[in-house]
Amino acid sequence: MNSTSKRVPNADRYDAIIRRWTETIVSLDESLRNRTLESLAEGLDADGLLAVAKELDLFHRKSSNLYHRVRAHFMLAAIYRYLLPGAIPETNAGLLPYEAYQHILGRRFSEAIDTLIRAQSIQGPTLAISSALARAYHQLGIQTLADQVRRSVRTVRGNQWMFRIAHPDDHPLRLNSVLLKPDAETGDYPIATERTSVRMDFSHSGWSDIFFLGMDFPEGAKVLNASIDLGVYGRDSEPRPPVEAYLRVIDRPVLRLVSTDLGAEAELHQIDEVFDFAKDYLGLLKGALIASGIVPPAMEGCRRPISELLQVLTGSDHLGIELVSKVNDIPKGSRLAVSTNLLGCLISVLMRATGQVKNLTGGLDVADQRLITARAILGEWLGGSGGGWQDSGGVWQGIKRIEGVIASPEDPEFGISRGRLMPAHTILTEDRLPKQSREALQDSLILIYGGMAQNVGPILEMVTEKYLVRAEKEWEARQEAIAIFEQIVDSLQRGDIRALASWTTKNFTGPLQSIIPWCTNHFTERMIQQCKETWGDQYWGFLMLGGMSGGGMGFFFDPSVHVAARDWLLKTLVETKRSMQDRLPFAMDPVVYDFRINDRGSSCELMTGDDASMPDGYYSILAPKLIRKEVRELSEQAKRDLIRFHRTCEHNPSRAGWLLDRILPQAQVAKSGTSTLADQLREFGFDREQHEQIRSEILSGRIGLSENRLPIQTVINDVAGDDFIDLRNGNTFSKVDAEPGRRALAAGEVAVVTLSAGVGSRWTSGAGVVKGLHPFYRFNGHHRSFIEVHLAKSRKTSTVFGAPVPHVFTTGYLTHEPIRKYLDSNQGFGYPGSYYLSRGMSVGLRTVPTVRDLVFHWEETPHQMLDEQQQKVRESAHAAIANWAKIAGEGSDYTDNIAEQCMHPVGHWYEIPSMLRNGTLKKLLEDRPQLKTLMLHNIDTLGANLDPLALSKHLESGACLSFEVIGRRIDDRGGGLANVNGKLRLVEGMAMPNDKDEFRLSFYSSMTTWIDIDKLLDAFGLDRQQLGDPHAVETAIRNLAIRLPTYLTIKDVKKRWGLGQEDVFPVTQFEKLWGDMSTLPQVACEYLAVDTPRGQQMKDPGQLDGWVRDGSAAYLEQLCHW
Amino acid sequence: MIIKKAVVTAAGPGQSSLPLQRLVDRDGVEKTALEMIIEEIVSAGIDSIAMVLSPGSEEAFREAAGNYIERLTFVTQREATGYGQAICCAKDFIAGEPFLHLVGDHLYLSKQARKCAQQLVQIASTNDCIVSAVQATRENMLPFFGTIGGLRVPQEERLYEVKRVVEKPTPTLAEQELTVAGFRSGTYLCFFGMHVLTPSVIGTLERLIADRKKPVPLADALHELASRQRYLAYEIDGQRYNIGVKYGLLNTQLALSLNGQDRDRILTQLVELLGTQK
Repeated sequence: MNSTSKRVPNADRYDAIIRRWTETIVSLDESLRNRTLESLAEGLDADGLLAVAKELDLFHRKSSNLYHRVRAHFMLAAIYRYLLPGAIPETNAGLLPYEAYQHILGRRFSEAIDTLIRAQSIQGPTLAISSALARAYHQLGIQTLADQVRRSVRTVRGNQWMFRIAHPDDHPLRLNSVLLKPDAETGDYPIATERTSVRMDFSHSGWSDIFFLGMDFPEGAKVLNASIDLGVYGRDSEPRPPVEAYLRVIDRPVLRLVSTDLGAEAELHQIDEVFDFAKDYLGLLKGALIASGIVPPAMEGCRRPISELLQVLTGSDHLGIELVSKVNDIPKGSRLAVSTNLLGCLISVLMRATGQVKNLTGGLDVADQRLITARAILGEWLGGSGGGWQDSGGVWQGIKRIEGVIASPEDPEFGISRGRLMPAHTILTEDRLPKQSREALQDSLILIYGGMAQNVGPILEMVTEKYLVRAEKEWEARQEAIAIFEQIVDSLQRGDIRALASWTTKNFTGPLQSIIPWCTNHFTERMIQQCKETWGDQYWGFLMLGGMSGGGMGFFFDPSVHVAARDWLLKTLVETKRSMQDRLPFAMDPVVYDFRINDRGSSCELMTGDDASMPDGYYSILAPKLIRKEVRELSEQAKRDLIRFHRTCEHNPSRAGWLLDRILPQAQVAKSGTSTLADQLREFGFDREQHEQIRSEILSGRIGLSENRLPIQTVINDVAGDDFIDLRNGNTFSKVDAEPGRRALAAGEVAVVTLSAGVGSRWTSGAGVVKGLHPFYRFNGHHRSFIEVHLAKSRKTSTVFGAPVPHVFTTGYLTHEPIRKYLDSNQGFGYPGSYYLSRGMSVGLRTVPTVRDLVFHWEETPHQMLDEQQQKVRESAHAAIANWAKIAGEGSDYTDNIAEQCMHPVGHWYEIPSMLRNGTLKKLLEDRPQLKTLMLHNIDTLGANLDPLALSKHLESGACLSFEVIGRRIDDRGGGLANVNGKLRLVEGMAMPNDKDEFRLSFYSSMTTWIDIDKLLDAFGLDRQQLGDPHAVETAIRNLAIRLPTYLTIKDVKKRWGLGQEDVFPVTQFEKLWGDMSTLPQVACEYLAVDTPRGQQMKDPGQLDGWVRDGSAAYLEQLCHW
Repeated sequence: MIIKKAVVTAAGPGQSSLPLQRLVDRDGVEKTALEMIIEEIVSAGIDSIAMVLSPGSEEAFREAAGNYIERLTFVTQREATGYGQAICCAKDFIAGEPFLHLVGDHLYLSKQARKCAQQLVQIASTNDCIVSAVQATRENMLPFFGTIGGLRVPQEERLYEVKRVVEKPTPTLAEQELTVAGFRSGTYLCFFGMHVLTPSVIGTLERLIADRKKPVPLADALHELASRQRYLAYEIDGQRYNIGVKYGLLNTQLALSLNGQDRDRILTQLVELLGTQK
C-alpha cells in the first residue's frame, strides 16, 4: 500500500563518500578520526545514505576492532534515526516485520538487523524499517560496549580468580584470626568498622567518566574529584564520613545482612540467596559480598548451604558473619555517589577481614585503594547498575585528578580498546593544593540536595551515542569542557574560588548543556536566577554535581555572606520546591549540607569488649525480632545485644518509645491538612458498587489482562488506500482544499480539548506529578510546560484567523488543582481566548494485582529483554512482587500509599462524558453558540494544532469523529487503525488477539480527534438543550458506557519512603478508552493520515533528545506564538 | 655448595606426634613417618640431622627414629614462637653451613628414581644458592602454603628465579603478583616443605623476629633474601603429602601403596570396599 521505490543504490557513485565514513572510523589521524557526523552526511540524498549504510553494515561485520564496530553501529543508528527519515517521503510508512521486533525484544540485535535489511531490500526504505534499524544498531552498540566493559572488569588481575571458584570447599579465603577471637570478659567478637566519605566532582569534562568514553578516548577522560564528609545543616553538629560498614563474627552459621538506613535485615542460609539482588533492600550488601570474593560470582547456582562456605572462612561449623551498612541520612539521588561509596566501604571491610587488603585497621594504601575501586566497579556491573569510574572516589582521600589511561601491552584491554578500564588517580597533595585553597573552597561553596530524584541512565546513553558519532555541536562542546577542566583545576590550586565558580558555571551553561540540554531543568534555573537576583555580585556561581542537576548541586557565594546565604538558600530551596512539586518529580524536601574535605580516605577501626557495639539503628531493627522470642531461645550473643540495647534505652528513653512503635501496630492517621483516602474517594466520584463488581469479576477470572483481547477468531487486516484521507507530505493539496477549515476557524466554530486528567505515569515512572505542567523544554529562552505549549499553539491560531480559540483542559483528581493554580498564577499565560477546566467526575480505586495477571503481564505481553545481569535483577524483582501480591491479597484494595497514588483515573473515554456531566460543554456552547467542532488531543501530542486542512477534510467527510493516524514506527506500540471483521475502527494494543496482528497495521492512532459536537451529542442520545438536565446526561453516559469494553491494565506506582527512597509497585486498574468510540455503529468515523511530527506522542523524557535532533522541536516551535 | 646437614622442624602445635605415626612404605615395610623423613634426607647424602621439637617430645621421637637415632641431634624450641624461630633454634647445629630443611608433617613421593630431597640437593649444589622445592598448586590450597612469584631460568626445565615470596597469600594478591608464565590461571608455585638454605636465612630471621617481636614465617625471610641474593625455586618431580590435616595420613598411605609393590592388592581391597558400600 505504500509507494516505496525499490532502487538499489549505485554504490560506485558513492565510493568516495563511503570511503570518508570508514576512514573516519579507522583513522589514527585525529583530524580525520574526529570528523563529525554532519560533515560526513553533507549533501547525501536517500540513495547516498543507503549506500553508506550498506557499506558500514559490511564494515561492522568484518571489523575485528571493538571500537571500530561500535562507531559503525552508532553511525548506522544515526543514519536510520535522523538522516534517512528526512530524505524519504512520509508516505513511505511501511510495515515492520514482526520477526525483527521479536529479535529486538529478545536482544538478538544482529538477527533483527538481518531481517530488517532483507525487508528493506524488498519494501524499499520506509519509516517503519528505518526506525527499527536505528533501534537495533543503537542497542547493538550499547550491548557490545557493555559486554566489553564487563569482560574488562573480569580480566582485571585480582578479580579473575573469583570467576573460577565455584564450590565452597575450594574457597581460598580465610577470615582474619583477630576477628575470630571473642573478648575474654564480655565474650563479644570484635567489630570492624569502616568509614568512608562520598565523592563530589568539580568537573567530569562532559561525562567523560563513562567507561566507554574513558576506554575509547582516554586523553579526554578527566575528572576533578573530592572526598567529602557531610552533615545536614541544622541537624548534625559536624560533618562526618557519610557511609559506614560494620562486620563481626556471629554465633550462628548464617550470613546476616542488615541495612540500618533502609530498615532491612535478612539471614541467608543458602549461597544462591546472595545472588537474589532484588528480593529485598539488601542488594548492595549482597553485591559487596560477591565483589569482595566472600561469595565469589562463580558460585551462583551452586545450591550449597552458606554454612559450608562459612565453615571454610571461619574454620568453625557454628560461626557466621554479620555485615551491617549505615548511611548517615544522605538522601538518594544526592549525585554524590553514595551507593557506590557504600559499596566500596562494604567491600573494603570485607577485604580487610579476609586479608585481601593489607591492614585490618587504619587507612588504605594506594594499591589497596585501586583494588577496592576495581572491585566496586565489578560490584556495580554485577548489580546491573554500572556507574562511572570516578564514583568510588570516596574510598580515596582528599582532592584528586582521575584520568583515563592509554592501554599498554601488559593491560588486558591492550589491542581491544585504546584506554584502560581502570583510571589513574593523582592526589593533589599539600604542595599542589595548599591548605588555604581548600579552606577558601569550604568558605564559599554550599552544597545542597535539591530533592529531585531522577534517573541519570538515559543521559549517559545519550552522551555515549553523541560522542561515538561525533555529533558536531557536542564534539566541540567536549573539547571546550576539556579546556575548562584545566581552568577549574588551576583556579582551585590557586585558591581563586571566584574564578573556580565562574568556570564551573561556564561549564554548566556551556558545554554540558550543549551536549545534554536535559542536564538542567526549570527548578535549577529558577534557583540560579533567584541567587543572582538576591545576592547579585556576592553570588559567584553554580556547580552541577554528577550526571544532572536537580539533586545534588553546589552554589558559590562570597565568603562574607556564606552564613546568611546558607540560611536563605535552605528557605528558598524549600519554597521553590513546594511551588513546583506538582510539576517536577521531587522525592523529598531539599536540604543544605555542611561539608569537609576528607583527608584520610576510607579507614577502619576495630572495636572490642564493651566498645564492640553496632550503630543505633541496628538494635532498632534487630531488637523487636529478638524480643518476640523466648529468652531461652536466644543465643548468648543475642542476649548481650539486648542488654546493650537496654543500656541505650536507659540513656536515651526516646529509643524505647521507638521500639514500642515498631512492635505495636499503628493506626493510620492522615497528616493534618490532608484528607484520608475515604474522603477523597467520596469527593472525586468513586463508584463503590461498580468497584466491587469489577473486583469479583477479576477474582473469578471474567476480567483480566488476557480477557482484554478480542476473540482469537477476529479477522484483523490493514486498511486499504481509500479507507483514509492521506494528508501526509507525499500528497499535495491546494490552498483551496483548506478553505472550509479556514472559514470555520475565522468564524470561531472550533475549540480545542486537551486531555490532561492523567498524570502521565511513564513520564516520571509513576511519581504522580502532573505531566502537563512539566517544564520539559526551553522554547524561546524559557522552560515551558506541555500546557503552555498547547496554549501557545491556540494563541497562534487565534492570531492568524482573527478569532480567539476556546481551549479546554480536562482534569482529574490528581491534576485539577495543580493545573488550576498553575494557570491562575500565570494569568493563563495571557491567553487571548477563554480557557476552561473540565474536572473529571469519575475515579477508581487501584487493586493489588492477581498473580495470574502479573504473570500474563510479564510473560505474555512483549517486553524488552534486558542486559544479562539486569535481567537477573528484574526476574528476582518479579518473584518478590508476586510474593507481595499474595501476601497483600490478590484483588484487594491498594491502600498502602498516599491517597492520590491509590486512586486512578478511569480512562480517557470518561473525559468527554465528564464535560457533559460537569457542565463545561454547556458553558462552552453558551459562551460560543456558533461552536460546531472540537479538536480533542492528548497532552503529549505536542504537534497537534488546529490545522485548517485537516479540519476541512473532517468537515467535508460529514463524520461525527475524524481520528488522526500516523505511520507506525517501532516505538508506536498500542494498536492502531484496522479493518476488524470488515469494519474500520481503532483497536487498542491490549485488545489485539495476538501481538503479531499489530505488525500488519500501517497506522498508529495519535488520539487526535476532530469531533462534530452535535453528532456526538446525538450518539449519546442528547441534544444541546438537554445538556442542562443532569439526569438525562447521566442516563445517556451510562447507556453508552455499557456498550464499550472495560480494560484491565497494570500500572507502575511509586511509593516513597525514607530519605528519597522509592519503590515501584505494579497495581491493577480499569479503564475505558476513547478510541473504542470507533466501534459504535451509530458513530460515523473518518480517518486522516497525518505527518509524524504532528501526530507523535511524547511519552518518555528519553525521547526528548531524538525529538530535538530529528527536527520535531523546531517543527513545534513554528506552530507556537509565545 | 656441599650440603651435609639437615634441619627438620616438628615443634608446631599438634606436630609432636605426627612423625610417630606408622605407615607402610612403597616396599611394603612398616615404619614410622619419622623414619621415612630421615630416609628421604639420607638419600641426599646427608647424615647429620637436627630435629627441632617442642619440650617433652624428645623421648617419643627417639623411639620412632629406630636405627637412625645415631644421626639425630635434638633441639628444643622452648616456646611456640613460630616457624621462623624454630629454624633459628638450630643455629648452633648448622654452624655456618648450608643445610637441607624439611617440615615434620610432610612425606614425599618421588616420580623418578631419585628421591625428592636428592633432586633438590643436587640443584642447590650445582647452583650454589638457596633453593626452595615448589609444586604447582591450585589456588584453593593457597591458605596452606608459602607461594613464590618469579621467572623461569632460561634453558632450565623446572628452575625459577624467585622474585617474591608470600606466606599463605590471598588469591587476589597471588593473581596480581605471583603468577608465573607457563602456568594455567589459578595455578601457583607453592612450597613443597623442603628447602636448601644458607646461614644467611638464620641471620635474616633473627633480625625480623627482633624487629617485629612476633612470630615470623620463613617465607618473609626468604622474600627479603630474594631481593638481596640469588634465590631459586625447583619444581620437584614428585608429590608432597601433608599428614597433619584431616585424612592426611590415610591419603598419604594410599599414595604410598598405590605407587608401591602392593598396588594390586590395595586396589583389590578398595574395589571390594566400594562393592560392599550401600
